[in-house]
Amino acid sequence: MRRFCACLSILLLSCVLQASAQDLASFEKRVHVRTLPNGLTVLLLQRPEAPVFSFFTVVDAGDAQDPLGKTGLAHMMEHMAFKGTENIGTTNYSAEKAALAKVEQAYAAYDRENIRTNGRDEKKVAELEAAWKAARADADQYVIQNEFGELIERNGGLEMNASTGFDSTQYYYSLPANRLELWAYLESERFLHPVMREFYKERDVVMEERRMRIDSSPTGRLVEQFLSIAFDGSPYHRPSIGYTADLKHFSATDAANFFQTYYVPSNMVIALVGDLDPDKTFAVVDRYFGRIPAGPKPEEYITAQTPQTAERTVTLYDPSQPFYLEGYQVPRYRDKDDAVYHVISSVMSAGRTSRLYRSLVRDRKIAMTAAGFSGLPGNKLRNLYAFYAVPAKGHTAQEMASAIHEEIEKIKKDGVTEDELKMVKTRSKAALLRSLDNNQGLAINLAQNQLKYGDWRELFRDIDKIDAVTNEDIKRVAAATFVESNRTVGIIETKSAKGGK
Amino acid sequence: MKTRYLLTATFSLLLAALPAAAQTPDASAAQNHGVASNWKQIAIPPLPPFHPAEPRKLVLPNGLTIFLTENHELPLISGAATVRGGGDSESAEKTGLVDLYGSTWRTGGTEKLTGDQLDDFLEARAAKVETSGGDAHTSISFHCLKADFDGVFTIFADLLRHPAFREEKLALAKKQMYSSISRRNDESADIADTQEDILGYGKDSAYAAEPEYATVAAVTREDLLAWHKQHVAPNNIILGIVGDFDAKQMESTLRKAFADWPKGEPVAQPKVAISPARPGIYLVDKPDVNQSDVRLISLGIDRHSPDYSAVQVMNEIFGGGFSSRLFGNLRTKQGLAYSVYGHVGSQWDHQGLTVLGIATKSETTVEAIKGLWEQLDLMKKEPPSELEMQRARDSILNSFIFNIDTPSKVLREQQTYAFYGYPSDYLEEERAGIEKVTADDVLRVANKYLHREELKVLVVGNAEVFGKQLAALGPVENVDITIPAPDAPLKKPQPSGASTKSEAQPSGSTPEGLALLAKAFEGFGGKDAVMDVKLLRLRFKMNQGSVDIPVLRVLAYPDREVMLMHTPQNDLRQVVTPSLAFLTVDKRSTDLPSSVHQSELEGLKRDFLNVLQHSGNEGYTFRAAGKETVSGRETTILEISAGGIPVRWWLTANGELAQEEFTEVDPTGPVKTSIRYEGYKNFGKLRLPTSYLMHNHDGDTLMHLEEAEVNPTIDMKVFEREPAAAAK
Repeated sequence: MRRFCACLSILLLSCVLQASAQDLASFEKRVHVRTLPNGLTVLLLQRPEAPVFSFFTVVDAGDAQDPLGKTGLAHMMEHMAFKGTENIGTTNYSAEKAALAKVEQAYAAYDRENIRTNGRDEKKVAELEAAWKAARADADQYVIQNEFGELIERNGGLEMNASTGFDSTQYYYSLPANRLELWAYLESERFLHPVMREFYKERDVVMEERRMRIDSSPTGRLVEQFLSIAFDGSPYHRPSIGYTADLKHFSATDAANFFQTYYVPSNMVIALVGDLDPDKTFAVVDRYFGRIPAGPKPEEYITAQTPQTAERTVTLYDPSQPFYLEGYQVPRYRDKDDAVYHVISSVMSAGRTSRLYRSLVRDRKIAMTAAGFSGLPGNKLRNLYAFYAVPAKGHTAQEMASAIHEEIEKIKKDGVTEDELKMVKTRSKAALLRSLDNNQGLAINLAQNQLKYGDWRELFRDIDKIDAVTNEDIKRVAAATFVESNRTVGIIETKSAKGGK
Repeated sequence: MKTRYLLTATFSLLLAALPAAAQTPDASAAQNHGVASNWKQIAIPPLPPFHPAEPRKLVLPNGLTIFLTENHELPLISGAATVRGGGDSESAEKTGLVDLYGSTWRTGGTEKLTGDQLDDFLEARAAKVETSGGDAHTSISFHCLKADFDGVFTIFADLLRHPAFREEKLALAKKQMYSSISRRNDESADIADTQEDILGYGKDSAYAAEPEYATVAAVTREDLLAWHKQHVAPNNIILGIVGDFDAKQMESTLRKAFADWPKGEPVAQPKVAISPARPGIYLVDKPDVNQSDVRLISLGIDRHSPDYSAVQVMNEIFGGGFSSRLFGNLRTKQGLAYSVYGHVGSQWDHQGLTVLGIATKSETTVEAIKGLWEQLDLMKKEPPSELEMQRARDSILNSFIFNIDTPSKVLREQQTYAFYGYPSDYLEEERAGIEKVTADDVLRVANKYLHREELKVLVVGNAEVFGKQLAALGPVENVDITIPAPDAPLKKPQPSGASTKSEAQPSGSTPEGLALLAKAFEGFGGKDAVMDVKLLRLRFKMNQGSVDIPVLRVLAYPDREVMLMHTPQNDLRQVVTPSLAFLTVDKRSTDLPSSVHQSELEGLKRDFLNVLQHSGNEGYTFRAAGKETVSGRETTILEISAGGIPVRWWLTANGELAQEEFTEVDPTGPVKTSIRYEGYKNFGKLRLPTSYLMHNHDGDTLMHLEEAEVNPTIDMKVFEREPAAAAK
C-alpha cells in the first residue's frame, strides 16, 4: 500500500504545472468579463479564500498625455481623485461649486500676470495673488477634509493608494467582502462627480513629492537628466511628475479638462478579485458604474520617438557616490520580440546565477549590484532597455560600462546556453504561478493585461511566448539593439559639495 | 488540541465581533434596485463566518517548535525558520557581524556543496533558499514548487545544520558592506533613519549600532561559525511551513530530518542599553537638497505595555492615515509636505521610538517643526472627539480581517507570537483591547508618552536656507556624519547592559575604581572569605505590611538560585539556572517567560559576591564616580560593568556596601531599583548586611537576614523541577 502511494504521488508531482488551480483553463471558468453599455470593462475573479476582495482600476492615460506646458497633470489628477466628489467631502456643494468657479477666475487672472515675461507688474501680481488666496479661503469653508479617504479607511480599506506613470494611472485597495456596494458607490462617484477642491494646496503637496523623489535624490536627479537626453520627440523625455515651472502654472480647470478627456469609461478597466458572487457583484457594478456617461475614446496621437543615430551621454557631478546607467532604444511592448527582451533580462539579471551578478559582483567584485531590464520609463511607447550598476567602493562608473559591455558582447556573439534558456522558461512559469496567490496581485495582472492586450488571457500566454524564444532570436535581437549609436549613458561622478572632484 | 480549539474559537469571535455599520440589512433591500445617493444609505451586511486554516503546532523532543499549515490552492511550498539571537546581541566592536552572517550563511554553502552550486541547483528549479540576519533573530527560508520539495528541503536542512561559511564569500559580503557604508550619506532619508536610532536609543546602544569599516573588517569566519554554533540549535528555533502538502506526512519528514539534532544552550534575550541623547536640536547639513527631512524623536513603548491598545488608537487619530490630524493639517490644509506621519512606536521585545516626521521644502523647515509641535500639544490638551474615536476604532477593527486573510499570514502571526512569547490568541486580545479604548484613555496616553521637552529635533537639510530660523528655536548641535576611515580607531566597546543614564557608559577600569574594589572585598570580610563562597544559604524575614514572610534563598555560585517563600496563602518556589527557570506554586510549576529568565540570570550576575568573585574577568570594569552621602554615611560611588551588566555601588570608607542601584528591563520598560544595606555582621569569616531595603516604582520592600550559612550541605536536587521540598 505504501509503495503504491509513493508511485502515485510521484505521478501527481510530475504533472504539477498542469494541475488545477493555476492554469488558463481553470481561470477561464472563474474570470468573468463584462463591458458595460458605456464602454467600461469590468473583470471579476471569484476567489473565495477569505471574505475580502481587492480591486484595481486602471486608466489608459498617464503623463505621456500631459499637454505641452502642463507636465505632471496626469499625476496631479490622480491626487485629485482622493479629494471627494459632489456628494463626498462637502457641506454644501452648490455653494462650493460657485466658490470654486471664482477661485478659477481669480487664479487665471493671477497666472496670466504672473507668467508674463516682459513688463510683469509685481504689484498687480501681489494683488491678484491675494485675491486668488481669498477666493480659496472662501471655497475651503465648505470642505469636509479628506472625507473620501477617511470613508475607505473607516471601512477597513487596506493599502489604499494610486500611482501614475507615463503609460497609465491606477487606483487600488482592498476591503472586507461585505463592503462591495460601498466600494461600488465610492469608486463610481470618484469617476462620475470628481471635484477639484483644495487643488492649489494639493499642488504644493505634489511639489514636495517632486523635491523628495527628484531634486533631493541623487539617482532621481540623474534619471531626470538621463531621460531628457535619451528621448526627444517622445513625451518620455519629460519628468512624469512634472517640471517645477509647470507645477506652478497649471490649474484646476486644466485637471478637470484632463479628466473629461481621458477618464472616460471606454478608456478604463476595473478588475475585482476576491470573495465575490459574480451575479450579485455585476448587478451592483451595473447600477453604480452604469451611471458614468460614455465618452469618445481619446485621441491616440503622440509624437513618435525618432530612432537614435548617435550615442548620448550625461554626466552628473554630484556629492553622492558614483552610479552607472545606460539605455538602448527598443520597440514598444506589442513588438513581436518583446519576449526576447524578457529572456535577455532574466539571463543577465535574475538571481545569483545571472551573468551580471557572476561577472561584476561575484568574480570581479567591482559592483554592489548590476542588472538590465526593459521598459524605462514605460513601455507603451518606444522605450529603453536599460542596464545599471552600482559601483563597489573604490570602483568607477567607467569600469561598470566596460564590464557590462563585455557581457553584452558575449550575448551578441553566442547568445545564451541551453541550460540558461531552460532556466528562464522554468522560472517564468513558476513566477506566473506565484503571482496567483493574492487578490491584489491578481487584480493588477488581470486589469493590466486586459488594458494592454484587450484580453486578460495574455497573462497566461506570456509564458508561451517565452517558451518559443530561441537562441537565434536572442543573438539577432541583441545584435540589433545593443549598439553604440543606439545608446544613452548616464553617470554620477563624485564631486564634493565644496567643489573639486 | 487545546491550542487548536482556542484558535478556532478566537477567530470565530474575532469575526463575529467585527463591527457592522449602524444600518440594518433591511435598509439594503430597500436600496437594492437603486443607487445610493449617500454613503450613509448603504447597508453593510454582516461578514460571513470565516475560519482560516489553523497552523498545526508541534514541539519535537529536542525543543524545535514547528507550525504547519496546509494550503492546496497552488502547488507551492514555502517555509521559514526563525533563530533566536540577532544584531541586538552582537558586540559593538564587531557591529555588522550578524549581517555578514546572514548573507554568508547562504552564499558560503554547506559542507557538501558550495554556495555557487546551491545557486545552480535552486535557480534551475525556480526555487529559493535564503538566509538573513535581523535584530532579534536570524532566519532561513525556502520557497519551491511542490514537485521540488525533497531536493530543496534537503538543502534547507543541510544549510541549517551544516553550513560552511566559506572564506571567499565572507570576503565578498564584507566588500558589499564596505560599499553600503560608503553610500550611507547619499540620501537624506537614509541619514535621518540612522540618526533617528542614534538620538532615540543613544549612540552606544545596540539598537543604534551602525557597521563601520573597522567593525566589519574585525569579523572573521570563526566568528560566524561560533555564532552559528551558539545560536542554531533546535530549542532556539521556530519553524513554519505552509503550502501544498499533507501535514501528517510533513510532520514525519521533519521528525526524521531533525530527530538526531541535539538540544543546545538556550539563547536568552539580550539586555540592550538605552541611553537616549539629550533633548535638543540636531542638524545634519546637506547642501545638495531643497527639502528637509525632519524627525522629532523620543522613546516609545514595549508592545507588552498595558497602554498598547490606547496608543494604537491615539496613533490612528494623530498620525495614521488620510483622516489623521497630521495628514489633515500639515499636508492637506497647509500643503507643507507629501510625507508626514507621527506615532508612539512599539517593538515586540523592547521600547520602540516615538517619531513625528515630515519632509518639507527648506524654506518651511521651521514652520513644519512648529506645526508638529502644535499638533502634539493639541493631542495632549483635550480628549479626541467622539467622531475621531469612532473613525479610529473602525479603521483598526474593520481591517482586522486582513491579519488573517491568507494561510501564510495566520502562520506568520503564530510564529511571531511564539517567538516573542505572546499568547497564541494575542490577536483576539488586541482586538478586545482596541474596543475598550475610550477618549480619556487616548488623552491619558498622549500625556504619558508625548513630551515636547523630551524630543530630539533632527533636521537633515540645507542649513543655508533655514539655519538662522532654526537657531532661533534653541541651541543647535551640528551632527558630524563623516564616515570614519577604515583605519580609524575602533569605538570603545559598549556594555550591553541596560541603563537609562544619559551620560556615557564606563568603558574601562580606572585606578580609583580598582582601589575601591579592593576596599569592597574588605567590607565583605576579605578576599579569601569572598572567594571561598560556593554555596550560600540565607534565611530572611520579609516584611510585607503587617506580616513577616519567611524566605529561604540558596545561591549556588555563579549562576543558580532557588528561593522558597511561605506566604499565608501559598508555598512558592522559584528556581533559576542557565537552562531552567520556573515557579512552583503549591506544587504546580510554570516556566518563567524567557525575558524574566534572562532578567533573573542577570540579577544573579549582579549579586555582590558574584561581582567580587568575577572582578578579575574580562568584561568586568570598575570606575570611581564621585562621592555621596547615604543614610548619613560618606560613600564613594563605584560604577561597575559586570560583564556588560551595569550596576552602581555606594561604598563606605571601610568598604561596606551601603547601597546599590541598577536597572532591570521588565515588560513595562526599564525599572530602576536601589537596595540599601545596613547592619553588617560576621557569618564565619564572611561579613554580610542584615538589613536590605529595596526600592523601586512599586514601592519599598524590607528584608531582614536572620541566618546565613556558607557552603552548607544541601541536596542539589533543589535546583531541579522535582521534588519540591528538598532544601529543608
